[in-house]
Order: sequence, then structure tokens, then C-alpha cells
Amino acid sequence: MTFIVPIGPQHPALEEPEHFRIEVKGEEVVDVDFRLGYVHRGIEKELCNRTYAHGLFLSQRVCGICDDAHSSAFTRAVEAVAGIECPSRARYVRTIGIELERIHSHLLWAGIAAHEIGFTTLFMLFWRDRELALDLRELLFGQRIMSGEMVLGGVRRDITPDKVPKILRNLDALEKSTKHYINVCTSDRTVIARCANVGVLTRQAARELCAVGPTARASGIDEDVRRDDPYAAYDEIPFKVITERDGDVFAKVVVRLREILESIHIIRHALDAMPKGALATRFPKKVAPNEAVGRVEAPRGELFYYVLSNGSDKPERVRIRTPSYANFPTIKPMLVGSTIAEVPIVLASIDPCFSCTDRITVVDARTGKSRIVTKEELRRLQK
Amino acid sequence: MIETLVYIFAYFVFPGILFASAVGLLFMGIDRKITGHMQNRIGPPIWQEFLDVGKLFCKEDVTPAAANSFVFNCAPLLCYGALIAVMLLLPINSAQPVLTSVADLIVIIYLLNIPAVCMILAGYASGCPFGTTGSSRYVVQLFGYELAFIIAAMAVAAKAGWSLSLSSIVAYQAQNGWMAFQVALIPAAIAILIAIQGKLLRVPFDIPEAESEIVHGPQTEYSGPKLAILRIAYDIELFVVAAVIVILFFGGPVPHTIGGVYIPGIVSFLIKCFGIVVLSTLIRNIAARLRIDQALKFFWTFPTLLAAISLILVVVI
Repeated sequence: MTFIVPIGPQHPALEEPEHFRIEVKGEEVVDVDFRLGYVHRGIEKELCNRTYAHGLFLSQRVCGICDDAHSSAFTRAVEAVAGIECPSRARYVRTIGIELERIHSHLLWAGIAAHEIGFTTLFMLFWRDRELALDLRELLFGQRIMSGEMVLGGVRRDITPDKVPKILRNLDALEKSTKHYINVCTSDRTVIARCANVGVLTRQAARELCAVGPTARASGIDEDVRRDDPYAAYDEIPFKVITERDGDVFAKVVVRLREILESIHIIRHALDAMPKGALATRFPKKVAPNEAVGRVEAPRGELFYYVLSNGSDKPERVRIRTPSYANFPTIKPMLVGSTIAEVPIVLASIDPCFSCTDRITVVDARTGKSRIVTKEELRRLQK
Repeated sequence: MIETLVYIFAYFVFPGILFASAVGLLFMGIDRKITGHMQNRIGPPIWQEFLDVGKLFCKEDVTPAAANSFVFNCAPLLCYGALIAVMLLLPINSAQPVLTSVADLIVIIYLLNIPAVCMILAGYASGCPFGTTGSSRYVVQLFGYELAFIIAAMAVAAKAGWSLSLSSIVAYQAQNGWMAFQVALIPAAIAILIAIQGKLLRVPFDIPEAESEIVHGPQTEYSGPKLAILRIAYDIELFVVAAVIVILFFGGPVPHTIGGVYIPGIVSFLIKCFGIVVLSTLIRNIAARLRIDQALKFFWTFPTLLAAISLILVVVI
């Protein structure tokens, strides 16, 4: 006999409201279904009602953690639509912002993962060291999370030389503690017992379900937008793309922790190699009809923006495909066959960001049935 | 008449409801404070547990319709009552407890299992998938830690000349030194310290109420005064289990004179209990939660083996 264990919309394991129906037989999971759409905010539509410069602020607020990834994807697409180039110093400043964001996002994830496996002390310590990265963002951009440092065609603030010693000091501390955490996670027996061989995503499944980011890299797929389609200053900075072969939760932990070390190297290199020059180029008020795609490697994976301009100061259409949306289908092969005890850590292992992901769902309150709104219906509603 | 009054005093004040609750809540408060410091937090003040329980008592008593049954409503009181009964059987102030029977140890082991059985039944009665899952995990875990716990306790009883009376175990230790320092019983002491981690549902064995998986297991549907009683019962259990271990392995309530200062039995007893609680707190902060199958495998191999080695050594030598 099977019964349904609901995970969410409100559940201690989830940071945001989302509903997972876990069908279990005793402790074993036999089927998984999930219902998205609890925090849909209609941002794509709203972006079309705003000017490009104004829309940039909204795009940052798609995600509460990876705001720089969203604004860099938006600026990349819009700059390509308008056909302008970002000055090279600004590209380096952007790189530093994006990598600091990756560090704090990965540490945040590691803390949540530790919480899911019941290791509260490790959770608190991860978040203690995350503060080092957040302090740097506050020092450089004036804000810990919503930095707003990017503008169309450049950046808002410069990184002055007097800030560099503090940056290097914090990076050294971060590197030391990250190495310590890698050591802890790969040697602690309870952590290994909970993470190794759990939620395995095979290389083939990851390929077929189009997984992105650390989820794909942990399954041995060597892809990274920073290297494959460089933006900001990544074409001038040497770095390694971290991959692991096993595809289990443990591999995902190791990939993310090692990516933090790689990000630290990138920031150090960028501080060294930063050229002098202007911080921004002028962005035109109106943009000629054109279309472009901007993709970046957000902390969770490939983030994709499509922008269609129509000659006015507002975009005709903006489409956002967030990495969590691409990674959701991988949940099913990872969960089926595991136990309830593994559900939270496996769900967390793709680092889901629900509010980025949500689409419109219509739920009939009387029957409880739900359906996704089709394209035609949305068109009709738009009129 | 006097005897009845003494008994009523023992039940309600010392070492019964008032004393046990106060010490239990205080130990839990200290546990939370230490946990806070270990986790790079300030942590709540040590009297926070009193405030929490007080607040819960003031809240409305809400019972979900699906859970509203005799078993569900009685479980907290049964937990509480069983633990107070254990307090009366323990030699806390002197070697002589309030109540004595021929086989104290068996009664205590039995009574210490009542809270677990109550929680299992309450979880199944709560009509909630989290409670049901938590209860089925609890059953498995009960069979895991209890085996090691009982064998370790039997080893002590065997060492004290097959005596099941706690008074005679305390008297034996007063003459021959602590059980934990007898070579043959060191493995049993380690085994029982691991087993209480499972008995008290603490990391790495907080599996039946794993909050990130099944919310709060069997306790999910409890709220208000019933939850308050459960909280006090849990805090007393923390104290009682530590007390049982102190009596079995660490000498029990023995007065000392250190540097001319007389330390009464009850004080040295509480200090030793506190030591056990701190040790348990340390373990719960340096590990991740295991899965139920891993936990069962662990309990039936490592601690059970250690306890069995002790028992064999005691019987053979």
C-alpha cells in the first residue's frame, strides 16, 4: 500500500513555498510529483512595461540570492540588442561582483544542505563564513545582496585601490575556511553516510533532462557558460571548470565547495589584471528593433534571457529561463527508489530557487485539479 | 499517617514533580545555551525553557479532528507520569530511594520505555503522515538502542553480584569504586552513552522527529498545553536517563569532602548528571543525522557488541 507524504507548500525543509507529493511505500519513495506556481509574480510581463534602465532593477529582483547573475544576463542581452560594448574595466568589476555572489550563494547552499542532513553546527559555521563574502559585497557595492552595481553599458561604482587589501584579507580567510570545510565534508563519517550514493543522477540522465550548472557538472558533464560562451572578463581570466563523476549529493557538495576556491582565484586574478579606463558607456534611450539572447552561468547553472526590442524605450518581450527551472525534471530520477529520509537533501541538492521558477497554474478550488495556462490563453488574457 | 505525608511530599516536591521538572528544564536550558555557543550563536538564556513551557501552557488547546482520540490526548500525561515514577525509584539523595522493590532495575527499564511507546501510539493516532512515518521509525529505533541499553545495564547488575536493586549497586560502588572505572565495564559505559543518544532522540539519532524530513514526527499535531507537558516530560527524561547512568556507572549519590568542604550526595549527583548531559550535547552538535537503516545497523553492531563484551567479561572473570 502506498500513501502520499506532502512536502510543502509549508515544510521545514523548504525555504520557499512549493508542493511536492511524495508517494511512499513504507519509507521507500515510489513516485514524485511536484506543483510549482505558489510565488508567481508575473515579472516577464512587468519587464515589458518598463524602460530598459528601469527593468534592470526588476530583473535583479527575480532572485533573492543571485541578483548579479540576473542583472548580468539582462545587461548582456540588452547590450547585444542595442549593440553597445561595455568598457573593459567595468567588465572586470562585473566579474568580481558575480564571483562574490557565487561564493556566498554556494556557502548558503552548503549551509542549507547541512541543515537538511541534521548537522546544524555545520550549517551555522557555513553561514558565519558566508558573511565574509557578504561584507566584501557591502564594501564594494554598498549592499550585501541587492547590490545594483550594474547599469546598462557598465557599472555604477569603481573598485578603488584602498579597498584591495581588505578584499584580499577576506579572500584569504574564505580560502582557509573553505579548505577546512572540504576536509570536514570529505572525512566526517555521518556526512558521507548521508550524502554518498544518495540521489544519483547519471551522466546520461543529466544529458537527456538538460541539467545545468553544478547539478550537471557533478554528473560529469563538462559545461560552463563562463568558459563556453564568455561574458564579462571571463575570456581573459584562466580558471578551471570543476567536474565530478559520481552524480550523487556528495559530488554536488564537492563541486560547489571547489567552485568557491576557483571563484576566489578568479577574483584575485581580476584584481591583479584590472585595466584602467571608463566605467560605463552611454546607453541609448531608444533601441532599434532587434532580438538577442544573453546567457550567463548563475550559481545554480545556466541562466537565459531573451530580449526582443521594438524601437521604443521598452522591450517588446523578455523571456527568462532560470537554472532551477531547467533542473527540476532531474528530481524524479534522483528521488524514485530512495527513502523519505533522503527527500530533503536530494531536493536541496539542485539548489532550487522556487520564486525564480514559478509559472502560472490555475487550481480549481472545488475539485482541487490544476492545469498550466497555455500560450493561447495567456495571449487572450493579455488583450 | 506520617508515612503517607512523606510519600505525598516525595511525589509532588522532592524528588518528584517539582524537583524533577525544575532540574530537567534547567538542564535543557543549559543544553540549548551550550549548543548556541558551539554553533557560533549567543543562544537563549538558560531559563528560556521555563518561559517556553509557560507560554505553551497559556496557549489554546487545539486538537485536530483526525487526531482527537483517547490515546492521543492521554499520551503526554502517561509520558510524564512514567518519568516521575522513575524519579521515585532512583536513589538520588542517599542510597535509599523513596520507593523500593525487589527488582528496581527491571521496573526502571520498563518505565523508561513508556514515553517511547506513548509517542509511537500518539504518532499513529495523530492521523498525519508525518506522525505515522515518525512512529514507524521510532519503533525501529526503539529496538535498536534498547538492546544495547539493556545489555549494558545487565553487565552492571552482574558485576554487583546479580543484584537488580539500585541501592545495592550504589552500595557496591561506594566500596569498590565507580563501575565506569572497572576494566570489564568500560565498553558497557561507552555503549550506554551511545544508546542514550538514541533514547533521547538526539543527533545523530534524532531520526523519529527529524525536523527537515517529517516536521516533528509523532509530535507534529500537538500544540498548547499538551505540547508543554510533552516538553517537560522530554526534559525530565533527559535528567532521568542521565541519572540512571550516573547511578549505574558513576557512583550515584555519594557525599564527598574535598579540601575540607563537605559536598552532599545530591550535589555531587547533580554535577555528575550535568556532566552526562553536557557530553550528550557535545555529541549532538558534532554529527549529522543518520538514516534509520544506518542507525539500526550501527546500534546492533557497535554499541551492542561493546555491551555484550562487557557482560561476557563480567560473567567469565
